[in-house]
Amino acid sequence: MKLPLNPYKRLLIYNHADTRMQAQQLISVISNSGYSRLMKTLYANSLVLRALLLVTILFSSVQSVAATTKHVIENPSIKMVIIPRSAEQMAAFYEGREFPANAIATTREACFFTIGIHNKTNDILWLDTQQWYLNNKNSTISLISKEQWKQRWGKINLPQRFQSTFRWTLLPEQLDFQPGEREGGNITIARQHDPFNLVATFNTAADKKGTPIRLEFKNLRCAEDTEQ
Amino acid sequence: MKKILPLLFIIIFSPSLLAESGLPKGIIKITPRIAPALSLENMDGEKFTLKTNSSHWSFVHFWASWCGPCRKEMPAIQKLIQAMSKDKLKFFIVNTAESEDTIFSFLGAVAPDINTLLDRDGLTTEKWKPRGLPSTYLVDPAGQIQYVVIGGQEWQKPQYSQFLRQLPINNKVN
Repeated sequence: MKLPLNPYKRLLIYNHADTRMQAQQLISVISNSGYSRLMKTLYANSLVLRALLLVTILFSSVQSVAATTKHVIENPSIKMVIIPRSAEQMAAFYEGREFPANAIATTREACFFTIGIHNKTNDILWLDTQQWYLNNKNSTISLISKEQWKQRWGKINLPQRFQSTFRWTLLPEQLDFQPGEREGGNITIARQHDPFNLVATFNTAADKKGTPIRLEFKNLRCAEDTEQ
Repeated sequence: MKKILPLLFIIIFSPSLLAESGLPKGIIKITPRIAPALSLENMDGEKFTLKTNSSHWSFVHFWASWCGPCRKEMPAIQKLIQAMSKDKLKFFIVNTAESEDTIFSFLGAVAPDINTLLDRDGLTTEKWKPRGLPSTYLVDPAGQIQYVVIGGQEWQKPQYSQFLRQLPINNKVN
């Protein structure tokens, strides 16, 4: 690929790009906090407001760190991390990617958990979310599949590019983790308040006949918005 | 023994063997498969098409600004592109489904010399079925994917450019 123009230099002449760049960088920085909407409203060209923004970012960052419960299981074969994400956090993330309001509203109906998986073995580790079992004291809980999300997006005619971005933020439903490979993404369930357990089983070895790895996470909860 | 040593030396350090036995971190040889179509415009509106029967290998990379490893990896890819500017390797850096504003602000901050291709609706990325983002493929001159690269890599390290430079143009990858 040839590199005919320096896109960064072109920012200087790009329509409103400089201002929007600053706005987007700020939104990007705060996308993990619960104050995105407030931030975006506050954003303006005045230096005073920008200073206020920075202070608020620092404050909300501290709060969100304190509020986030991170679940980690690690053994010599695997490390798996689960981080519950609040509706406001996810809304901020997708708003930052310019998702329309009806799509944001749809995401609010689900609980999001960011998953990180690291295959620490020297062999293949098989991810298959059909081998993940979630249950609370009363019933089993189903993961919302990519196909189900596609149907939801179809109902609101979400433009393809947003569907694509959303899809890539989800954890793959099946994957042959190579030795040392790390991948991550979100899983989603219907929004609920009761705690639940998750048992994840991974087949191992190229032929899937190695000793399965079973991880159990207890007492997971959907993250609530800080203002609730 | 003295007669065997030179032979061993040749076998061990033969470039073709180095490629297969000592792949740089993250690069995996796969059973070759035909690369999906790729024909996209860059930020200047110029169209780039991945061709079969070309005279060069192609480095196809999918990324998005929201992906943490992409932010870390993109400067290294920029350095690799610069380091290999005189080599017969074509780079197809593909942004997945983001707006030009987002791409401008991201690349302006982390890799200002990269002029990415725009997969505006994300459908090209869907066809390639990457394991996740970022994802990189090495496509031979015949248009077959020969290697996949898992996760973000430190492309600025010489072992990667050395590996890319010795990829055989005659397609005979074992």
